[in-house]
Amino acid sequence: MSVRALWIISHEKGENVSIRFSRRFSTVEHRAKRLAGSWYVAVPEENTVLQLLLTEMGLSDSNKPYVALRDDCLHCQRSPALELRVDGPAKGVLWPVLAISQGPLILACLPLVDAPAEPRPPLASLLSVSQGLTLLAGLQTFLLGAGGKLDSEGLASRLAMLPAVLLQVCPLGTPLDVPLLGAPATNTVPTPAGSQKQPAWKTGLHRGRAVVNVALAETVRSMQYGNRSRQDLWDVFGTVTCKCEVEGVLPNVTVTLTLPPNGSPLQDILVHPCVTSLDSTILTASSVDNYDGSAFSGPYKFPFSPPLEPFRLCSYTSQVPVPPILGSYQLREEENQLHVSVTLKLHESVKNSFEYCEAHLPFFNRDQMGVVDVKVSFGQLDISKEKNLLVWALGQKFPKSREVTMEGKITFSGPTAGPTDPLCTDLTAYIKLYFKVPDMTLSGCCVDQHSVQVYSSAKPRIVTSRELLSKEYFIWNSTGTAPVSSGQMML
Amino acid sequence: MAVNWAERISAFSRSPSRFLSGTTAEAFLAELLRELRDDRASYSVKVLLLSPLCEHPTVLCPSDSVGEETALELMSVFAQCPPKTVQFCCHLLLALTSVLVCTSCVSSRSRASQDFLDLLLQIAQDTSDLHGDAAHRSLRATACDCLQELEACSPGLLSQRLELLGGLRQRESSRLHQSYAGLQTLVLRNAVYQLTQETGAGPEHLKAILGGNTSVAWEAEQDSGLMNNKDSAILSSVILGPMGTVPTLQTGPDCKELRSVLSSLLEESYLLTPLCQAALLNRLTELVAMVPGVPPAIFRAQLLRLLGTSEVGLLHTTLLMKCAFTDSLFSAEDEAFILKRLVVLSQHPLLSTPEKLFYMDCILHFPENRPIGCSDGDETLPVLLTPQLALALVPTVFNDSATMLARLNLLSLVYLEEGEDGEEGRGLAYLYEHLTSLLHIVENGGSREIVVTFFRAVLLFLSYFCHVERYSNSLTEKLCQLYLHHTYLAPHLINLADQTQDKLTESSWAVGLLKALQGVITEAPLAQLTLQDLSRHLKMLARVAEEGEIPQHTTLSFLSSVITPSSSSLCVSGDWRLGNSLLGVCRRLLVHPSLDSLLIPLADILQHLTCRYGDTDIMDHARLYYSLLTTLSREKLASMLAQDLTEGGRQVKRRTLSSIMAEGEGLTSALTIHQTEKAIFRLMKAQSEPRERTQSDRESDLNQNETENSPGEANVALEAYRTQFHDPRFASEITLNHQLTHVEAVDSRFDQLFSICLHFSLTDDHYDDLSDISVPCLFRDRPCPKVKLTLKPRRPHPTTLHASAIFTTHDGLSWHTVLPDIHIAFQQVFMPPPTPPTWGRGGRLSLFEGLWDEMSSDSREKDLTDCATSLFCCQLKEAALITLVEKHFLPYLVSDLSEDDDEFKVLVFLPPQSHMLLKIRSEEDAVHFNIATDNWQLLPHINSYLLTITSCQDAALGHL
Repeated sequence: MSVRALWIISHEKGENVSIRFSRRFSTVEHRAKRLAGSWYVAVPEENTVLQLLLTEMGLSDSNKPYVALRDDCLHCQRSPALELRVDGPAKGVLWPVLAISQGPLILACLPLVDAPAEPRPPLASLLSVSQGLTLLAGLQTFLLGAGGKLDSEGLASRLAMLPAVLLQVCPLGTPLDVPLLGAPATNTVPTPAGSQKQPAWKTGLHRGRAVVNVALAETVRSMQYGNRSRQDLWDVFGTVTCKCEVEGVLPNVTVTLTLPPNGSPLQDILVHPCVTSLDSTILTASSVDNYDGSAFSGPYKFPFSPPLEPFRLCSYTSQVPVPPILGSYQLREEENQLHVSVTLKLHESVKNSFEYCEAHLPFFNRDQMGVVDVKVSFGQLDISKEKNLLVWALGQKFPKSREVTMEGKITFSGPTAGPTDPLCTDLTAYIKLYFKVPDMTLSGCCVDQHSVQVYSSAKPRIVTSRELLSKEYFIWNSTGTAPVSSGQMML
Repeated sequence: MAVNWAERISAFSRSPSRFLSGTTAEAFLAELLRELRDDRASYSVKVLLLSPLCEHPTVLCPSDSVGEETALELMSVFAQCPPKTVQFCCHLLLALTSVLVCTSCVSSRSRASQDFLDLLLQIAQDTSDLHGDAAHRSLRATACDCLQELEACSPGLLSQRLELLGGLRQRESSRLHQSYAGLQTLVLRNAVYQLTQETGAGPEHLKAILGGNTSVAWEAEQDSGLMNNKDSAILSSVILGPMGTVPTLQTGPDCKELRSVLSSLLEESYLLTPLCQAALLNRLTELVAMVPGVPPAIFRAQLLRLLGTSEVGLLHTTLLMKCAFTDSLFSAEDEAFILKRLVVLSQHPLLSTPEKLFYMDCILHFPENRPIGCSDGDETLPVLLTPQLALALVPTVFNDSATMLARLNLLSLVYLEEGEDGEEGRGLAYLYEHLTSLLHIVENGGSREIVVTFFRAVLLFLSYFCHVERYSNSLTEKLCQLYLHHTYLAPHLINLADQTQDKLTESSWAVGLLKALQGVITEAPLAQLTLQDLSRHLKMLARVAEEGEIPQHTTLSFLSSVITPSSSSLCVSGDWRLGNSLLGVCRRLLVHPSLDSLLIPLADILQHLTCRYGDTDIMDHARLYYSLLTTLSREKLASMLAQDLTEGGRQVKRRTLSSIMAEGEGLTSALTIHQTEKAIFRLMKAQSEPRERTQSDRESDLNQNETENSPGEANVALEAYRTQFHDPRFASEITLNHQLTHVEAVDSRFDQLFSICLHFSLTDDHYDDLSDISVPCLFRDRPCPKVKLTLKPRRPHPTTLHASAIFTTHDGLSWHTVLPDIHIAFQQVFMPPPTPPTWGRGGRLSLFEGLWDEMSSDSREKDLTDCATSLFCCQLKEAALITLVEKHFLPYLVSDLSEDDDEFKVLVFLPPQSHMLLKIRSEEDAVHFNIATDNWQLLPHINSYLLTITSCQDAALGHL
């Protein structure tokens, strides 16, 4: 359940690599040595680790097309744990090295194998692996923020805080907690002595007016092919995020999700560890099952005792019968001209009130756009500065007919070549939709303000909200080959 | 100063070995400790100073005793810490734990570790911070962490404190109860484990431990603790696969005390952070597994909460629980649910890629209630994973590489089981189509990552479905077309062929692929061939030529059509690399089994290269191959060239001289001089040689005695002797015999060494520079080669030589190594006086007298200011003296040993122009060594030499 060492590395696409922080846990190493016996492989010095790790992650020697050590097809990296092949006098394989990479940062650690070293135990039998993953993810969020972006100064100051942070969350190699994001919430006081034990995940107590904020966000993804041989795909997943400012050491709050009468059940529900109890019926519906119609469809009750900071109470997926926007995209190539024809239909069940709605039509592996003779029935058309992208801004509303069209011709006669993409060649092209609809969910799921129960003396203020967001919402040109095989039909 | 420390500490942790090459661990440790005691240093710097002790305690404290001393020092620093410096105190506790654990002070129950344990327990029990002193509370938390680590590293250390720890946990209402809970659980787990190892342990022992008597002193606990420390099994998780056995403690159904502790821990587990909760549940799972008296149902209340969790650690714990308890806790429905859950999580949009990969791994190692076979760590599909269920995990081109490969692997297993005909093989068809989509992306200029992923996917696919010819053949075709348009993929394709050949030994797919590649290369129109393509084609054809089963005629006609047309720019350009690649193909053809049928076209090509190629080096090598081909029998040719292709596999090619230039990839390593890590061989003084020479000298003396032709008078002899030195080269060198031998450590790479070139460098200016010496070879199992070191002294003083060597190993690599220093002792410079060869003993005696008179005369004339006389006395018996003279001075003796003379006269010449004369005589009280020399600077050396040999003689005789 411990890790032997921890490394934090920054790089720019494999260049300017440096270890920004490292920590070896000598007592865990001591245990590793005893556990592994003659199979023991010591952790090499920083530079060696760095080199091996980059090679294993395919980031070393980025200017060389083929490096045997890096590109051997036998090294199948399909597990979260990497093998570092240590050379030299301390020869051997360092395993299982966990590494997560986001933007310019790579975080890696080496969990302790608390099982006989040979034959190599399955990853699934080592609790230290999931513990290591959790620690790394926590550190990543701490360093990069929840948004995953941070300037170099911010990163440097966070890195400087790490020694103090690790003293709290992983003093001797055994992860105890993940670092707290930012300063603790305001209006907290230290715990008074009492009989009720304070949860270890709660840094203090809230004092003041009780406020409960419940935000429901649904995300819809879609792949539409406009082709009979290929089934269009879409899925919806939702998250419920809470911020609760409630007095008491272990206050009780219950949030209830409800569906409309004919709504399809929420599936794949995952809950935050602060949820105190769960009804087994809530968990039964699963997206990988055949939907039998008799499944439980709410209300979904989540009793919990909230931590101080905002948290994701639960998440779910839902199978909705239709995608919110149905599109068709057709391209025809004529000499150096491309005929474009697009139709987008907003489904009647979707509220016609967007925060934003844009359709992006990128063109790859061609010259820059020259003459763009394209008419839209509604909204505004823009050409990106780089002249390889049409941006169709639909604004806050579709017209009454709920249908918009685009028709016209584009010539590609620009002086320089546009961007390339190995996926989108010839007529393989797509439209990507970006939209956000406030105050609605596709599944119909909602949190009624009155259904939020807080067991405390003062009457709390309760705020609820919901929204629908698009993500990876693609409409492929139906006259080209979409980069998915027809096997997808089986779905 | 602070900046300085920050830099030094970070330099140390970057590379302790490099840092310590500039100082010693001892000195650095002393520096750290001094600075830690310094009141002027800030505490933020002091925290920094502790990190080397935390991270590399064994580097700084190489022995237990140093660890013990360091710990005592640190504890005294702790005692003097002002109460406000909590952070520093916490780090100090961590450093102490690291030092004491890693230097084995804890496991040997040293004094310091005992004191430290008392200190920790004292801090852990000090609840005076109850009213809100958060800072002090963090010290208490750290103390608990340290205790937990001590217990983890020395299981059983705290087993007598269980009651105390339980009480502390129950009374604590602040967040700190988590630390106590973790500590208590671990101690309990270890204590129970130890009981399972003791024969006859039963419920009463368990009860005694739970109600542990804290008054029992540490000393009493030592036995059990120490015993178990030798066995690392207690450190391992007891939850094993379906076939593992768990040590058990028979308690009968009634273990109320244990149950109540477990219930209380489980009840509060919700209050712990997910990481600590997972650890706690895992420890408790182990514990319940070891005590059959407690039913696993004790966990039931927690299960739903755990099964619905979004935390990877908590779900993982649940899986481990399932592994430990199977159907005694999980019903068949639970099992189906968990598996579905894993499938969902393996592709959940909100989870990170590593988490999803981990869940996929969990599916392939799913702890089934009733496993069919003993999987023993291999990946197997759970029975419940139907193709329908697995559909959620089909790979797509939008997946990242690792996810795609993991999904491909999982689905391949599913469809392999389903068989080619299940569902009309649609699943397999899908996978193949997916592979084709990837291939199209590669074709359209996919990034390096996609290319690599594609080839990995191909290998993975083949490893499962190589036997399905419909797909494997079609794949061959597609890969050939891909190669033709993207020749830069040559190394990937070669690698794929190599690996499929190694991995799928029963399949001939790789040969088929290579043959097909040969086909497309040789049939493609030459007109469009660029030089770059050609060089890749040649690489490919070289690999094809390694396959004995593939006919090579097309390769030869391709080579011939590339080089022979008079317009061929290739030969005119004389590109060395291309020529090298051409030769690479030819070289492999020379050892091809069908060489007989290739003989003439191959000879034509080689001859053409010999005559026409625009690079001399290539021409020479072509000529070499040509003459090998035309003059040697097939067997000889094969044995000459084949070894580097067959032995050692493809990865480690041997580089013989004939191949060094035709092996493009190995060239760099063959041309680089590698550095050995340790000394490989050394020069040892050859022992036997001088004695033999002494013997023969004496004989020649005897022979010459009769035909003596030497000056009778001392001054005449001296004159004649001196004239020889007019030539400055006369007798100016000494030759020392050495042997070159391997050092002890065995590294088989260095068993056979060739072309060793020894290089020497001086450490002072007493000698002229030495020239390099070459030794043809050094084999571990053959007699050591002799090496004659020729030294030309400027002053005959003892010295030390540095030596290094460059040599070649049998695999053709060149190495540089440093030899241990060679020490030249004073007596190694001794030579008999270089008297003219016709002189006999009498002449030398005259010379001795002449020199002696000159040196000891009071009238110090112009040239003789360097002369000196001295006396050395020692206690030696008569016999011992004779032995000594025989042993050390025989070659230099001018008086006769056999004659009944009571004085020995020794004349030693020290090149270039010095002498040492000795008159050795036994007096009543002692043996007197009268010394005369013409170089007074030698006196200290003479003195210490005499001291050495006489005391040795003493010792030797003492033994007799």
